[in-house]
Amino acid sequence: MTKLKDKKPSKLEALKAMSPKDRNRAIGDMLMNNAMFIIIAIAVVGIWIAEPTFLSIPSIVNIINLTAAKLPIALGVGGCIILAGTDISAGRVVGLSACIAAGLQLTTNKLFPGLPVMPIPVAILAVLVVGACVGFVNGFFMAKFKLHPFIVTLSTQLIVYGIILIYMQLGTNSGQTLSGMSEAYRNFVTGKLFTVGNTAVPRYVLYSAIIAVVVWVIWNKTTFGKNMYAVGSNEDAANVSGVNVLKTIIMVFMLAGMLYGLTGFMDAARIASVNANTGLNYESDAIAACVIGGISFVGGIGKVSGAIIGVLLLQLIFVGLNYLSVDQNLLYIVKGVIILVACSIDMRKYLVRK
Amino acid sequence: MEELTPKENPDQKSPPPMRGLYRNVKISVKTLDKIIIGGIIVLVVLILYGIANNGYTVTFDSRGGTDVPSQELMYGDLVEEPDPPTREGYTFAGWYSDENFRYQWDMDTNQVSQSMTLYAAWEETP
Repeated sequence: MTKLKDKKPSKLEALKAMSPKDRNRAIGDMLMNNAMFIIIAIAVVGIWIAEPTFLSIPSIVNIINLTAAKLPIALGVGGCIILAGTDISAGRVVGLSACIAAGLQLTTNKLFPGLPVMPIPVAILAVLVVGACVGFVNGFFMAKFKLHPFIVTLSTQLIVYGIILIYMQLGTNSGQTLSGMSEAYRNFVTGKLFTVGNTAVPRYVLYSAIIAVVVWVIWNKTTFGKNMYAVGSNEDAANVSGVNVLKTIIMVFMLAGMLYGLTGFMDAARIASVNANTGLNYESDAIAACVIGGISFVGGIGKVSGAIIGVLLLQLIFVGLNYLSVDQNLLYIVKGVIILVACSIDMRKYLVRK
Repeated sequence: MEELTPKENPDQKSPPPMRGLYRNVKISVKTLDKIIIGGIIVLVVLILYGIANNGYTVTFDSRGGTDVPSQELMYGDLVEEPDPPTREGYTFAGWYSDENFRYQWDMDTNQVSQSMTLYAAWEETP
């Protein structure tokens, strides 16, 4: 606490003590490094002026709900990015877990004819196991074969998609959308937690908050978490100082897989209808959110709070553009440009430190 | 991966090289600044273009019936009930938001939140 207090005025004093030229440069650096936040803030204010209901209570609750729904996957991808990697299989794993969770909770089950509605803990356990298995494959091939994370996770993305398609053909379902899940399951995820004004806040917001706290503890308070940061910032140094690099990488990816599983579990109930394309492109949102939130591709740098801020900002801007009836197709291009700009800004932060 | 990561040397005075996915990056801050500003301009232009051309198109697929003109609507609008299409030998049975006729589109309550196509359902006239 005292450290923080000591630091802040010294930074300001340092800025004052600088020559005008240095000061301009420091301010310029600050503006450039926070350019994404500034742009999003301007956009949000602009959208709010054009469409005042954008910041009404139901709309804000909606944005918070969407943030909660996308947070676990972002935290999972965040862990992979801290390892200076990434994970593009995330969206498909979310899809597979959503299909599995839905499949165990259907009232009239076409996938497994005759299977009664399973207890909710069974569904949670199933998505955790499936996520962890995919994560293990990702982590193993990355750590053991030193393959580029994009290649490994591209392969698992394809494999998982194949599994989803085959799974959806089981029984008499023949690839149709799954809907009609048990009331208990839907209520467990989307039931009312409390109301703000007249708008109900669903239970998954609470689950998402719990997940964020658990991930924070894992990242910051456990040996595994410290090893993760160490491996991410310098694999050789971590290896020399006795960190089991292989185990750490596999565990980070398994943890990520479990988080995708939980995202899928919540998504199936949240959207209430699941098909083979559920979860498609979720990883792009998650990666964009992490980079905006300061989880850096440089490796070993990033916080849980960064991921939360990143997801929230991204949802703010996309819900806002939706309010202005901007074409959905254009939003893909906007998303892509946001990722590129956010990466450039991220890169700049570490270039300047030289 | 690790053979490309430069070894750390605490005695070295020069700044540490870039790590992680940026380990091969060689770029000056000035160039990077230009790229960032360029990217931001592209982003702003895209968003402004999107706002200028806003509105969602709802098209009607009458599936063999008479043509129904599409509608330009804003977020949260209700679709205006078009004149029902006609088709020889069939009676019109409502608009659906999917081709499998699972979700009927309720013109009085369902709000538009994206561009979409509504599909006409037909029942054979006995």
